[in-house]
Amino acid sequence: MTEPRDLLELAEVSKVYGDLRALDEVSLSVPRGQWLSIVGPSGSGKTTLMNIVGAMDRASSGSVLLDGVELSGMSPKELAQIRRDTVGLIFQKFHLIGHLTALENVMVAQYYHSMPDEPEALAALDRVGLRERAAHLPSQLSGGEQQRVCIARALINYPALILADEPTGNLDAANEQIVLDIFRTLHSEGATLIVVTHDPDVAAEGQREVALDHGRMVREVFHVHP
Amino acid sequence: MANDVGARAGTVARRARRAMFWRMVARSVTRRRSRVLIAVLAVGIGATTLFALASIAIDIPRQMTREMRAYGANLLVMPQDGDSAVPVAALAGIDHLLEAAEVVGRAPYRYETLRLNQAPYLTAGTDLGAVRKVSPYWYVEGDWPGGPGEVLIGQDIAEWADLGAGDQIELVAGALGGPAASADAGLGGQAGSDGGDQPQDVIEEEATGLFAVAGVLTTGGTEDELILMALGDLENLAGGAGEYDVVEYSVAADSAQIEELAGRISAQVQGVAAAPVKRLTESDDYVLSMLRSLLALIAVIVLVLTMIGVSTTMMAVVAERQGEIALRKALGANVREVEREFLSEGLALGAVGGILGTGLGYLLAQVISLNVFHRSVGMTWWLAVVSVAVSTLVAWVAALVPVRRAAEVDPATVLRGE
Repeated sequence: MTEPRDLLELAEVSKVYGDLRALDEVSLSVPRGQWLSIVGPSGSGKTTLMNIVGAMDRASSGSVLLDGVELSGMSPKELAQIRRDTVGLIFQKFHLIGHLTALENVMVAQYYHSMPDEPEALAALDRVGLRERAAHLPSQLSGGEQQRVCIARALINYPALILADEPTGNLDAANEQIVLDIFRTLHSEGATLIVVTHDPDVAAEGQREVALDHGRMVREVFHVHP
Repeated sequence: MANDVGARAGTVARRARRAMFWRMVARSVTRRRSRVLIAVLAVGIGATTLFALASIAIDIPRQMTREMRAYGANLLVMPQDGDSAVPVAALAGIDHLLEAAEVVGRAPYRYETLRLNQAPYLTAGTDLGAVRKVSPYWYVEGDWPGGPGEVLIGQDIAEWADLGAGDQIELVAGALGGPAASADAGLGGQAGSDGGDQPQDVIEEEATGLFAVAGVLTTGGTEDELILMALGDLENLAGGAGEYDVVEYSVAADSAQIEELAGRISAQVQGVAAAPVKRLTESDDYVLSMLRSLLALIAVIVLVLTMIGVSTTMMAVVAERQGEIALRKALGANVREVEREFLSEGLALGAVGGILGTGLGYLLAQVISLNVFHRSVGMTWWLAVVSVAVSTLVAWVAALVPVRRAAEVDPATVLRGE
């Protein structure tokens, strides 16, 4: 059986909270290997879209097809299975577990996915340049280092889709470049990336940029990189 | 072959997951010390109080039955119907039967009527040292007799005869015939007072002895109408040896044990009949059951308060980790996995708190016992195991509701930055 060309297909997806339409009939396809940037002001529906694509929330209506699997109507347990198998999450605030070392934070993702493998987790940290900091607690790491641990954790299970929510939002310029370099490498290796950002420069790093406003897609731009 | 490889891989994966599970639990317990300390403290205080109370409640019968021996003899041995005295030889048999019991004291009594200033008084010859052990509550104004030739006189006699400590008295034996002259077992009043029909003027052979009044005895009972002297002095004065009218025992045991001992003595030792002093044994039981009920009530209250304290603490601890729970769910954990992890932490905290609390509870029980009963309390190991188990269970139950509620958290809260 051949994989569908598009990793993600949204068809007329809406999310309604009471009277508020956080997403209003959004349709979007993301081919495998694409780096998609999502931009928009606060309250435009970016986070709601991320939650639905990342199997953390369900759409009120419409269809969400991720890696050939329809997410609408899935039970919480089935959605948890999708999250552990298909999605790698990178957060603005890193969200590392404070009492676990960098290495253990990466192994937690392995634990929920299949089985913890310390050498493999060390290799993931090595990939983001943090092998030497593996035994450090998050409180002993800089913001940039914590974000790199977060990226290593997101990559450890080889997810089909990497979702990043403002990944450089809490970083200085130097660390922002380090993170973007990692993303470029991942993209060059064929990873599918969806990055939500306020930063136009970060958004411009993607191949494609989609702008949301009031829950609707209002603009779509393709960037050509040499 | 492929099945074997698959099974082996499955086993390796399960082991790796189990190792990671306990690694996470251990890290949470050891690296979040201040938070863990609060939870352990909540469990530990409860365990300390409960273990101390339970230790004392269990040890109370041993402690209190010993304490209550201060109220006098609780087992009397008398001649069997038809016999006039308890033979000395019977005492060895009784001692054998009481070997396993804790005998606080044994006081043999022989009663004779002696005359003081022409008036007959019941006089007891006994082992005065043993009497002090059996009846430590007796109050003596003056001194206990220190040797031969010294007597104690009851307070009533002291008043009637106008005597006090340090006075000399002359006691006459064998003066009067008739039944009033030889007292039956038990403590009577002024001998001969109810023997008005008997001839009072038949003088046979008289023996006289001079005695010093060492002290005046006040018990509030029939002993206040008694003269007490060393058994040897009475035998010298009244003649005869080796027979007792009654032997009083003070045994540290509850009423059922005393009843059982009395039955065995009566059945197995020839020539004697034993009976418990019901007034004492039953009041001992009543006091003990009251104390135990009180301790049980306090224990239940402490248990409820501990549950509330631990629940509140667990609620705060879990609420603080709501973000972590949401993150774990975002990484793919399902509700049951989250519950298992956090409840296991609750169990670990409960076990640590239980072990520490039980240790401290033992120390607390020691302090209470030494201050109240003036002797140490023993370590009850099965109770220690129960205490740790109950503490662990309490922590688990207390964590159940907050953890279940927290495990339902929406993983999307992580992206919202909450």
